[in-house]
Amino acid sequence: MQRSLLHLPIKRSAWAIRTSNVARIAAVRSFASEASPNPEIYDIVVVGGGPVGLTLAASLGAARATSHLKIALIEGMNLASIRDWNPTPDYFANRIVSLIPSTVKLLKETGVWKHIKQERVQSYDGMQVWDGMTDARVEFDWNKLLGGREEGIDTTIAHMVENIHLSHGLLQRLEELAVKPTMIDKTKVEKIEYGQMTEDVDMRDWPIVTLSNGQKLGARLLIGADGGNSPVRTFAGIESRGWDYDRHSMVATFKIEDDSAFPKFAYQRFLPSGPVAILPLPGNFANLAWSTTPEKVAHLKSLAPEDFVAMVNAAFRLSYTDIDYLHNLKSGVVEETKWRESVTKYPDPPTIPVRITEVLEGTRASFPLKMKHADRYIGERIALVGDAAHTIHPMAGQGLNAGVGDVYSLVKSIADGISHGQDIGSSFTLEPYQSERYLPNNALLGFVDKLHTLYGFESGPLVPLRSMGVEIINRDWFGLKRFLMSQAAKS
Amino acid sequence: MAAPTSTSLARACTHCLRSRAPQLSRQSSQHLPSISNNRTFSVLHRPPPNYPGHVPLKLPERLFLAAGSAIMSFLDPRRGDLIALLGETTAQPYFIYRLRDTMLKHPTGRRILRDRPRITSQSLSLPYLRSLPSNTIGATYVSWLDREGVSPDTRSEVRYIDDAECAYVMQRYRECHDFYHAITGLPIVREGEIALKVFEYANTGLPMTGLSAFSTFTVKKEERDRLLSVYFPWAIRNGWKAESLLNVYWEEVLETDVQEMRDRLGIEVPPDLRKTRAEIRRKKREERGGKVKTVTASAPAATASDTTVETARVETEAEREEREQLEIERKAMEILEQADKM
Repeated sequence: MQRSLLHLPIKRSAWAIRTSNVARIAAVRSFASEASPNPEIYDIVVVGGGPVGLTLAASLGAARATSHLKIALIEGMNLASIRDWNPTPDYFANRIVSLIPSTVKLLKETGVWKHIKQERVQSYDGMQVWDGMTDARVEFDWNKLLGGREEGIDTTIAHMVENIHLSHGLLQRLEELAVKPTMIDKTKVEKIEYGQMTEDVDMRDWPIVTLSNGQKLGARLLIGADGGNSPVRTFAGIESRGWDYDRHSMVATFKIEDDSAFPKFAYQRFLPSGPVAILPLPGNFANLAWSTTPEKVAHLKSLAPEDFVAMVNAAFRLSYTDIDYLHNLKSGVVEETKWRESVTKYPDPPTIPVRITEVLEGTRASFPLKMKHADRYIGERIALVGDAAHTIHPMAGQGLNAGVGDVYSLVKSIADGISHGQDIGSSFTLEPYQSERYLPNNALLGFVDKLHTLYGFESGPLVPLRSMGVEIINRDWFGLKRFLMSQAAKS
Repeated sequence: MAAPTSTSLARACTHCLRSRAPQLSRQSSQHLPSISNNRTFSVLHRPPPNYPGHVPLKLPERLFLAAGSAIMSFLDPRRGDLIALLGETTAQPYFIYRLRDTMLKHPTGRRILRDRPRITSQSLSLPYLRSLPSNTIGATYVSWLDREGVSPDTRSEVRYIDDAECAYVMQRYRECHDFYHAITGLPIVREGEIALKVFEYANTGLPMTGLSAFSTFTVKKEERDRLLSVYFPWAIRNGWKAESLLNVYWEEVLETDVQEMRDRLGIEVPPDLRKTRAEIRRKKREERGGKVKTVTASAPAATASDTTVETARVETEAEREEREQLEIERKAMEILEQADKM
């Protein structure tokens, strides 16, 4: 995908503004002339104030072609807590995201990145991924791969940022916009329906959003950034296909041993029950993302803190047989792992993560994992972005990045539409978004889904085969490693 | 009561892995004050041992030892040391790890791996075992030892398995072999050993135990037929469905009734091989007694010395082994009777 700046085509066509201004004037007029039961008309109504929804609002506000649009953003939760987020250096939230370079680039272009506190962002240059059954390993490390020969290349694989931190930065950016979007939080979408024809306007093909506070919003374009169970998608009658993995992802934040002697790496070990990952945070902190069966997650949550810490350390050191057995222990994991680690051979850091020492209180949480892909991303006056369009297994850390990729593409399509004088809600305007994003997202979803299946085998012919494949990738035969890494760096 | 005086008795347990050969020199594992870790693994430079007594092997060495010990122990099944060597060289990779994992998955097996108990004459008090009622595992076990005239100390050490824990698993398997005799009731004659090996193969998956089935070709035809029709089906069915024998903490169940233990593990008792053999032998003896008479009677023309020589030769080839076994069994019966009286 060619990445041009977002400050798009406004110079080419001043006419685009005019069209839209007319629309806005019309909308205002209609609001003025009608009584309250009539909807207030917006150019764009975004449902969902998560990172993707906020990024969308911020990008629309930042791109010159779209910065004048009248936008409303609806969020069920209280955004004030995110706005007032005041971090302390000795605590990191458990929900974090990995932002790949292309995502960061977009955040820089839209002016969000400067609101992100860099001391709370941890970037990493290397990734260690290995097979829990055979120990076949891939090291993703640009520095090692290029051997320092090529200068001026961004060797960062990703930046770890807390979800709330990112949302906080996005909200701050929205505050500075010249035309601020209307933020409606603590409010749920009650129903979505098509409008009616009145004397002034024919709104029969416009979605009208009714909120839980009785407010009605008419949308020239309704964008669903409202997650996996998207009400907007349901309204549009777009089918979303996929399956539950019958796995939950366990997250937690830890204090770790001093790792200043080692480079900051991300670690992921594929166990047959699902991958377990340790992601770096600034200082002596790290985050866990452990995908496993709901029963095992329940067990992990029920363990005493020191047993839980021993369990996570064991997950990167002991054999799967041992880990599976440890899941049956209700207590005494510390002693059991001490014994097993004394008789098991495992590599030293930085090949595996340093030991974690303590789990931060109240950071143990989990959520179910799904694979879902909507049939279409667009409809007449409807667009879906992020999880509303596609839900992905988190093992590759690509969920939000794909969502941001959607945002970029959608904003570009809307800007193009405006500059060509098209109705921003028409599927004709939105078509490029769908055609640009659907196949890459489908490929990504399929790839991750197949990885999940492939690594679900505990034994059998696929186990040596996958290890052979991993060896081939790790040696960068046919440039496979470069290809994978460059693919993972953009969305 | 142990009688290690008669070597022929002691070696009767041909497949027991009991090494009577002098321990091989361990120089190879001791001569390296590892100067540099960068040196490659060669015959002249072995990496340091992973545990005391460990001898790291290169693949060609391992293959050579495996093939050599397989051929030689096939030719002479009394070489327990070679059978032990075959067991070690073929167990790795994969098989011994799988067996270790079987133990790790079981609470008792895990406890065994944690304690790493060794079965020696110190860890087991033989006089105490002799004092147990004869239906207990301990008494049955010690009766095997007595009959064979050996002590638990005669098991050779594991040397060629690279992982210390897996080496212990192999050691444990080896040391518990006599308990398997006790629990299955199979006698220590070759036929019984082969049947037990097949049982162990189905139970543990160690390749050596499976390879031992080839010994079927070296036994007499009637024994082979009996093995194939009765004991192999029993061994495979029971070995497969029974709980892993490695997961039994034998030291803790010495006072348990043998039959109770069998029920717990899910093992059926095979037909009594000892009885069957004794019966067949008696029948044969009666038959042959008549036959020899007729032969002697029908050939009065031949010189007396010729006949004697011929009969003697026939006896040496076919019946020497049987005589020995008969002797062993007689002695064993005596011991058992004595034990019962006690």
